[in-house]
Amino acid sequence: MKQRKRDNRLYILMFLAPVTILFCAFFLYPLVFTAWTSLLKWKGMGSTSFFGLGNYTKLLGDPTFRLAIKNNVVWALGLGFIQVPLAALVALILARNPFGWRFLRTIYYLPNVISGVALAMVWVAMYNPQYGAINAFLKMFGFEARNWLGDPTTALPAILAQAVLYIGYFMIILLASIMNISKELYEAAELEGAGPILQDLYITIPMLRGILVTSITLAMAYGMRHFETSFLMTGGGPAYSTTTMGIALYLKMDALRFGEASAAGMLLIVMGTIVIMLLRRFLGREDPQSERIS
Amino acid sequence: MKQATPVRALLSIATWLFLGLFLAVALLPLLWLLVNSFRTNLELQVAPFGFPAQPSLENYRNAISMANLPLLFMNSVITAVGAVVVNIAVCSMAAFALARETFRGRTLFHTLLTAGILVPIISFMVPYFTLISATGLYDKLVALTLVYSAVNIPVSIFLIVSFMGTIPKELEEAAIIDGCGFIQRFTRVVFPLSRSSLVTAGTFCFIYAWNDFVMAMILTSSVSSRTIQLGIRFFTSQFITDYAGMFAAIVLSIIPSVLVYIFLHDKIISGLTAGAVKG
Repeated sequence: MKQRKRDNRLYILMFLAPVTILFCAFFLYPLVFTAWTSLLKWKGMGSTSFFGLGNYTKLLGDPTFRLAIKNNVVWALGLGFIQVPLAALVALILARNPFGWRFLRTIYYLPNVISGVALAMVWVAMYNPQYGAINAFLKMFGFEARNWLGDPTTALPAILAQAVLYIGYFMIILLASIMNISKELYEAAELEGAGPILQDLYITIPMLRGILVTSITLAMAYGMRHFETSFLMTGGGPAYSTTTMGIALYLKMDALRFGEASAAGMLLIVMGTIVIMLLRRFLGREDPQSERIS
Repeated sequence: MKQATPVRALLSIATWLFLGLFLAVALLPLLWLLVNSFRTNLELQVAPFGFPAQPSLENYRNAISMANLPLLFMNSVITAVGAVVVNIAVCSMAAFALARETFRGRTLFHTLLTAGILVPIISFMVPYFTLISATGLYDKLVALTLVYSAVNIPVSIFLIVSFMGTIPKELEEAAIIDGCGFIQRFTRVVFPLSRSSLVTAGTFCFIYAWNDFVMAMILTSSVSSRTIQLGIRFFTSQFITDYAGMFAAIVLSIIPSVLVYIFLHDKIISGLTAGAVKG
């Protein structure tokens, strides 16, 4: 018996080893690396020297990086407080199982499986001032054609708008939670004569509180790390109007300013964590039915 | 049963308009892309909306011959399938130990692995680049395979461990009586029984790997190790005026993820909700 136990432990180690190696190489090591090199003066492949918080003061003193932080906050607010509520509203409607709700659920999530590159290129084409569908559509209603992505005042709202309207991910999570609420609660409300809207207000939404907080937190965390769509649609321009911390990080790295790039990476991680902690603190984590989300 | 009052009718119309808005946002750009991939550049310039006068596969032929598309496609298939195989092999083994065995530090290890989901991967651009360069894997497809399989560890571990936890202990005990050792319990009992969660985790990994742009951009440089996402990204700079050809190339790049979604969307939806719903 003792022999088998020792054998088991050997096998357990063997089975955990590959995941441990990969996880250390691509999660733990990069975290330590980023934290350490953010304190170094390190340009390109050459020598490095200790720089203290120099990279951080440099970044935070840079107006374009401050603009990047501001844009990330806009993204976080847009995703957390527009996308998630819209997703919740759609989930509440689909939870009553109207005609074709399964089909709608499937189609709403479809853009989430399509690559960011393809979607970004399609939306760039949609917003194109000459042959784009958006301007053609607006012209039918007598609006003037605009260069949506070329104008610093409209570029960020234009990119944000299409992202916010892709509600599929949070809608699916919220819908599953709604369908998991005990039917008895509704039966009782029905007997009391409460209509569907009252039922939503007094049963569904309070029961969803936990998962809504989780969704908002996740959405805001995604907003803080937003990178790909903006990078692909505008490259952060025009005039840095759509830049984000991720884009700043990439540009620093591309210019071989590895120390500053690491500092940008650390700020990205730290600010994302702060957002998560603040939301947990203020919106509470008491949670009637949901756990974590993968 | 319900009265058809004007208010109710109005509410119903508003609801369907609301649902229709999101349907339009999700679907119309993709349909516009599809229709335009069969039109000519001239038609596109004249009228953004409209159907092709003579639908032809000309754009697709151009896209395939000009942009080296078959090679890029193969590169993406190899890296994505490789990532799924590595990720599922590594994670199913670890999940077996985490879900079916007891040892010190088990919960801590599990929490650590799944907490990886909270880390913004784009903040690791520099360490990934230096690590891959230092190991001599820069500009090699195997680098992408490794990164993709590693980045998906948190999701896969979460999905597979919670599924393996639901397999009745009796099945394994029966296998032990039949003389199965540690490895056979995994290969003959738990692994086959977890198929459903392995497919879900593999699907997420495939979609991530197929769609990734950032890692491919920073970890490869030559055309021979370019993936399809980088390929369509560079399509416009190569052939500035051929928008129709670009649309055709994008449609081709989307097909694998859409096929996966058509066949496995139930798995994807159940995977997404695994964390949202208890049990």
